[in-house]
Amino acid sequence: MQFYQVSGLSVASEIVLPGLIAATADVAPEVTIRRGSVPDALSGATASGPTWQIAGKQFLMRIPDIARFLLKNGNEIVFAAESDAKAADIPIFLLGTVFGILLHQREQIVLHASTVRVNGRAVLFCGSSGAGKSTIAAALAQRGYPLVTDDVCTLTIDGRGAPLVHPDGRQLKLWAQAIERLDLAQQRGERVRASLEKFYVEPSEAFTAPLPLGAVYALREARPPHKPGIERPNVVDAALLLRRNAYRPLLVRRMDQKANYFHAATAIANVAGIFHLTRALDFTKMPEVIAWLEAHWLELRLVEQAA
Amino acid sequence: MIRTVWLASYPKSGNTWFRMLLANLSATDKPVDINDLPERGGIASAREPFDYLTLIDSGLLTHDEIDVLRPRVYEDLASGAQDDEYDKPEKLPPARLVKVHDAYTHTSKGEPLLAGRGGADAAIVIVRDPRDVAPSLANHNRVDIDLAIKQMNSHELAYCAKPGRLDLQLRQKLPSWSGHVASWLDQTDIPVHLVRYEDLAADTAKIFRAALAFAGRPATDEEIHRAVRYADFGELQRQERDKGFSETPRRAGGAFFRRGEVGAWRDELSPEQVAAIEAAHGTMMRRLGYELASEAPRTGTLGEWRMASGE
Repeated sequence: MQFYQVSGLSVASEIVLPGLIAATADVAPEVTIRRGSVPDALSGATASGPTWQIAGKQFLMRIPDIARFLLKNGNEIVFAAESDAKAADIPIFLLGTVFGILLHQREQIVLHASTVRVNGRAVLFCGSSGAGKSTIAAALAQRGYPLVTDDVCTLTIDGRGAPLVHPDGRQLKLWAQAIERLDLAQQRGERVRASLEKFYVEPSEAFTAPLPLGAVYALREARPPHKPGIERPNVVDAALLLRRNAYRPLLVRRMDQKANYFHAATAIANVAGIFHLTRALDFTKMPEVIAWLEAHWLELRLVEQAA
Repeated sequence: MIRTVWLASYPKSGNTWFRMLLANLSATDKPVDINDLPERGGIASAREPFDYLTLIDSGLLTHDEIDVLRPRVYEDLASGAQDDEYDKPEKLPPARLVKVHDAYTHTSKGEPLLAGRGGADAAIVIVRDPRDVAPSLANHNRVDIDLAIKQMNSHELAYCAKPGRLDLQLRQKLPSWSGHVASWLDQTDIPVHLVRYEDLAADTAKIFRAALAFAGRPATDEEIHRAVRYADFGELQRQERDKGFSETPRRAGGAFFRRGEVGAWRDELSPEQVAAIEAAHGTMMRRLGYELASEAPRTGTLGEWRMASGE
């Protein structure tokens, strides 16, 4: 067994999961991952989609020709490979989609976001695939704001109602084009999958302590009618924005989590803020975007004015 | 159940104009904002609905792996999987018309990519004289006309297929202009209604009304005439000039709504360019009723040519 810390949870896994924070074996794992037999379908399914089914506390997820995953009660993942040739591809899907579903089973707030640390607080960049989450996090990491999470970000609300972000040491995953344009070739690691030109990129620093939330930005491309800049949507839109930036928003609906996300949006609005960050999808504009962000963090008092 | 009808075309053939007509059916006092269309479908190749419904990050799949799953996604969409995405249920029209630029192809498992009857009830196929498509495509993609013609003649062309980066749309195969048109006209999975851009330009209300009737999305004469007026090419150009258009290509320079004219190729293409297009696509052009310059009488003005071709 391998032991890890993922999104604030202790995990015991039969297979090696690259890029995670290793944990000691002395804690009883909250989640176990093992090989086993996984059915093609669940009986008594109450919700389903092109690749998945829900039946009570069980969730069946299929990545065609790669593996099937059965998630039970939010604490157990059983998987069966569908192809020996693609067995090496299992961890990337396990840590993305599958663990994301598990977090939904545990009724946690899980956002499609990459996160950096700004003066001890977590700053999130949300968006769908291709929105530029990892790219902006990588560019900020180069400016000295270390990576906290990539792609998936788990939030919990503590006893006093304050949202906390749980780092999980996931490496950045970047496309070859972004690595080249951000000059990150030195930190380029293995391919995410043998068949893709997307690579792991080593973070400069990894840490485990949960961070209080600083701000949430939903990324948006600057195309008419949206003008470049940072703006704060109204409260209702902010709540909807948070839910639509859930990691797999369909599950918020299908797993009856809407109220949870509404409460989280309120908690976030109380201590931080939810903003639109609208900019051109253009690497040459990155310094300008970082300058807007740094000015915004001063305005939000996330950072102090330099003496 | 709401009918799904593909609005299928090669790029730069009038698909967006048709969508603007459609969007303006529900406009009352002024033309709809071109950046705020009251449509739900988007384009069939959009990445987000794929990720939304499959729960898989399509950025971690190869183009071929994505294609294997796309029929399941279109079945799910056709059955209304996304209709409850918004909190406020809107009044849904009796048919959703969904833009698609993909050719009608089959996946590596032999299934129709667009799921045949399971993905849509029918297709409106919009075609345009490839000699008018070429200059428009060159402007859209910021390439010279010769390259645009080369792309239209290529059987290997696909949009959004580059490795090393993630496009906001899924790969779309465009196996040459005539291959694309043939793939739609010759498939037998779903009924097709053919619209020629040139006919739509000549009598917009009549051609639009017939297409709507085919789609099962009836409209009154008043609605149709108002939509024709509100989606006039000049109005679309004016809005794009004043406030930009969200679908204009990112590379600066060209307008999305460029000329929209019928037969403009006569002053935009060289004889060699016309010959290259006709050599590659003559068979399909004849089938669609586009008279070949190489077969037309050499004398005569543009006006006479238009009369002769029934425009």
